[in-house]
Amino acid sequence: MNADVLTFQDMILALERYWAAQGCTVMQPYDSEVGAGTFHTATTLRSLGPAAWRTCYPQPCRRPADGRYGENPNRMQHYYQFQVILKPCPPDSQDLYLGSLAAIGLDPAKHDVRFVEDDWESPTLGAWGLGWEVWLDGMEVTQYTYFQQVGGIEVDPVPVEITYGLERIAMYIQGVDSVYDLIWSYLPDGTPMTYGDVFLENEREFSAYNFEVADVEMMRAKFDDYEAECHRCLDAKLPLPAYDCVMKCSHAFNLLDSRGAISATERANYILRVRTVAKACCEAYLELVAARSESKEGEVA
Amino acid sequence: MAETRDFLLEIGTEEMPSAPLMNAQKQLGTIIERGMAETGLAHGAIRTLSTPRRLAVIVEACATATDEVHDVKRGPAAQIAFDADGAPTKAALGFARKCGVDAAALVRRVDTDGREYVFAEKTIPSAPALPLLSALSERTIASLEWPNYRSQRWGSEHAGFVRPIRWICALLGSEVVPVSYADVTSGSTTRGHRVLAPGDHAVPEASCYERVLEDAFVLGEKRRAEVIRAGIAAIEQERGGAHVDTPKRIFDEVVNLCEWPSVLVGTFDEQFLAVPHEIICESMLSNQRYFPVYAADGSLTREFVVVSNAAPGTEATVVDGNERVVRARLYDAKFFYDEDLRVPLDEYVERLSVVTFQEKLGTMRAKVSRMETLAGAVAELAGTDAETHREAVRAAHLAKGDLVSQAVVEFTNQQGVMGGYYAAAAGEPAAVCQAIREHYRPRFAGDELPEGIVGKAVAIADKLDTICGIFAIDEAPTGSSDPYAVRRATIGVISMLKELPSVSLAALIDTALASYADQGLAFDSADVAGKVRAFFAGRLAAIAKDEGIAADIIDAISAIGIIDPAEFLARARALADARANSPELFEDLSTAYTRAAHLGDASLGTDCDASLMTEPETALLAAIEHGRGAVADRLEAKDFAGAFTALAELREPIDRFFVEVLVMDEDTRVKENRLRLLNRFSGIFADVADIGCLSKK
Repeated sequence: MNADVLTFQDMILALERYWAAQGCTVMQPYDSEVGAGTFHTATTLRSLGPAAWRTCYPQPCRRPADGRYGENPNRMQHYYQFQVILKPCPPDSQDLYLGSLAAIGLDPAKHDVRFVEDDWESPTLGAWGLGWEVWLDGMEVTQYTYFQQVGGIEVDPVPVEITYGLERIAMYIQGVDSVYDLIWSYLPDGTPMTYGDVFLENEREFSAYNFEVADVEMMRAKFDDYEAECHRCLDAKLPLPAYDCVMKCSHAFNLLDSRGAISATERANYILRVRTVAKACCEAYLELVAARSESKEGEVA
Repeated sequence: MAETRDFLLEIGTEEMPSAPLMNAQKQLGTIIERGMAETGLAHGAIRTLSTPRRLAVIVEACATATDEVHDVKRGPAAQIAFDADGAPTKAALGFARKCGVDAAALVRRVDTDGREYVFAEKTIPSAPALPLLSALSERTIASLEWPNYRSQRWGSEHAGFVRPIRWICALLGSEVVPVSYADVTSGSTTRGHRVLAPGDHAVPEASCYERVLEDAFVLGEKRRAEVIRAGIAAIEQERGGAHVDTPKRIFDEVVNLCEWPSVLVGTFDEQFLAVPHEIICESMLSNQRYFPVYAADGSLTREFVVVSNAAPGTEATVVDGNERVVRARLYDAKFFYDEDLRVPLDEYVERLSVVTFQEKLGTMRAKVSRMETLAGAVAELAGTDAETHREAVRAAHLAKGDLVSQAVVEFTNQQGVMGGYYAAAAGEPAAVCQAIREHYRPRFAGDELPEGIVGKAVAIADKLDTICGIFAIDEAPTGSSDPYAVRRATIGVISMLKELPSVSLAALIDTALASYADQGLAFDSADVAGKVRAFFAGRLAAIAKDEGIAADIIDAISAIGIIDPAEFLARARALADARANSPELFEDLSTAYTRAAHLGDASLGTDCDASLMTEPETALLAAIEHGRGAVADRLEAKDFAGAFTALAELREPIDRFFVEVLVMDEDTRVKENRLRLLNRFSGIFADVADIGCLSKK
């Protein structure tokens, strides 16, 4: 590999450094299973209320049904997103984004970059926004969304969410056709450590777990338990732990889905249950935290 | 006459989606044209221009000020306008108020008719254009609509637009027209192509807007379409008669995904041509907005056309990137397709037992069994030979199998198409493969029907099964809700049955419902069958109306419960023709029928005693007897025109009967005999049309 081509970890570091320079608080992944970077409290909950907020973080995402036992070069049940939130969205967010591509070696002047309409809706989060998927020479590399509603609540000011598909971009930069051939880092002697070295076994085992082993009854019970726990937390006016329970419910649901244990109607019902608790958490967070910080600001002024 | 300058309003945005953009550009021209008229500013031609990042309108030769207007209005006659003391009357005060002048300023003058009137004279001074154009511009931006889409907010702003507005260039000549919207204030700069000429570009004069754009590597939509068409034409020519497929919707999108297009050609590996071409083309057109290239002989080639928005000199990188994307997609598609081929289609059908068709109606596998019965019934009623019958049942068995194949899970639009390939690979007869392929048709109004009887049988079975099932669980479509697209399915069944006159819809409905009952679904068969028939009758009436058949004729045929589409339409047309030929006759016949049906008492039956009859009655009886035979013969022969002619012959004897015979005779025996005769008369119509509908105006 060409020496100036970034490794997987250098790419993450470069994005962190770039966005840190734009005033983003560099955060770490949410420490629970999530289906997308959007679920992180730093995105979902911080989108609510009037306070300004800029953050960036990588987020491993788990989509149990997308497992392919490590046999598909493009698809995994565990992969990385890099998430940026700018709230309120600044007038030059697209230029900042193009700058970030340059920062990882993809000079927009040397490629064909397009913003192609792709609006976003998350039924489980009661959220939607308008935006694009960004194409780089025809490849979808980023999801770019102006949130309009989160947890059924109109967001004001409007945050912009920029979500990079890290593996896909890295495959393009490094010119490899299989995700497992990506170079993650180099050992001191120059031996490459590949994505496969790091995650292939993980894909094999978790694909088997997700499709064949995960205990359906336990997952159903887990969903019910965490749903109840979520309500208890909300009763105790603790929206953050309550929201943590929503993540657990969501992951239990995803596993039930990958086990093929959910009928179409049950599916709709489970999604509705997740949305209900997610919305309740958003409302509680807005009331107890986000709006409270607004009145504090008011007092200071 | 004031001086004139060109007026420019450019709304600069982040990338707007294609369809709403095209719609907004149309609105923009109309709104500005109407708005200019309201300002009273003289102006020349109006033109609009769009790119994904801007919507612009240029009004040529816009006056820099409105003309001064001297407005004279004549009011009431002077003698009414002033009282004896010379003070203005209510009439004068009202007139002055209406004209917006002081009553004291009213002028008395003799008009051309020699009478004296009061006049209100007002001079509206010339108004400068800038404030008028400012207001017009702000109103215009706010009033653009986004049908079938939505607008968004951005930053801390509450105003909406389809995507965030980032700049506004508004000029009258070289002077900035002040315009504010959300957090943006107008200036005299536009923005160039994102990478070829980034940043602000001064527009010195509204009239040179397009030139500034072009210098900044931005072309309007018409120019971009021309460049792309020319590029494609050159590619076709270089390849000696090749054809590049550019479906309109995709072409429009491609035009609206660039500001400075370059047309490039990419290639995919030979091996992928083994993948069904529908998948290759869907993947290229819908997912990537590439245009497939067909050779002169019509065969799909390995090449595709991609339109780039990048800088000249990047072609190799851009083509390479796009080829990698298509390789990854086609690799997946080929992998799925090859994997799918390892599993027999019959095996997929069995896997449908874990796929829900509808919560209360069970699995797709159960639906397949019902479809087999129903497709067999269609073939049988259509009078096909034993082999075709077998093929219909076989195709119905296999039709849904591909739903659980990996290729269809990935490329949902190819349902049916893939099943056709899998069936062909398994050596199924050509008619079966084609039927599987086409059984989702017609997918929309005016869509092609499945070509052969086997395909029609499966398509009817699929749709009618859904319709009957949904009615059986009492979830019939309502005005606002039709989640299972029952209406569309119904119209589809009707359009296919129009071509299969011998197939009885009522019989098929009973068969479909019987299959559900056999599978254990509990419902009231007779009741549901009636509702399904009524639903079909409603759709059929709507279709007949669309074909220009009069409402009373549709009622006349509907009233006797005809729901077989071919027969319904044939009868309606025959009745319409018969009436058109002799309108009075049918008017009379209808009146007589209505009278007979009104007087008649069904409980008396139709056995009349000829010995009690007077001559007009025996004449009517003879005509009825003759007519009944004739009508039955004609109906048997499906000669509806003949049946109406036979009915028409009853007009004279029935008219005579009503003129010469008093039905309500004092002698009950005579009276009842006459009523029986009328019953007998009405009875003939029962199988043809409710002729009484024709006189209900």
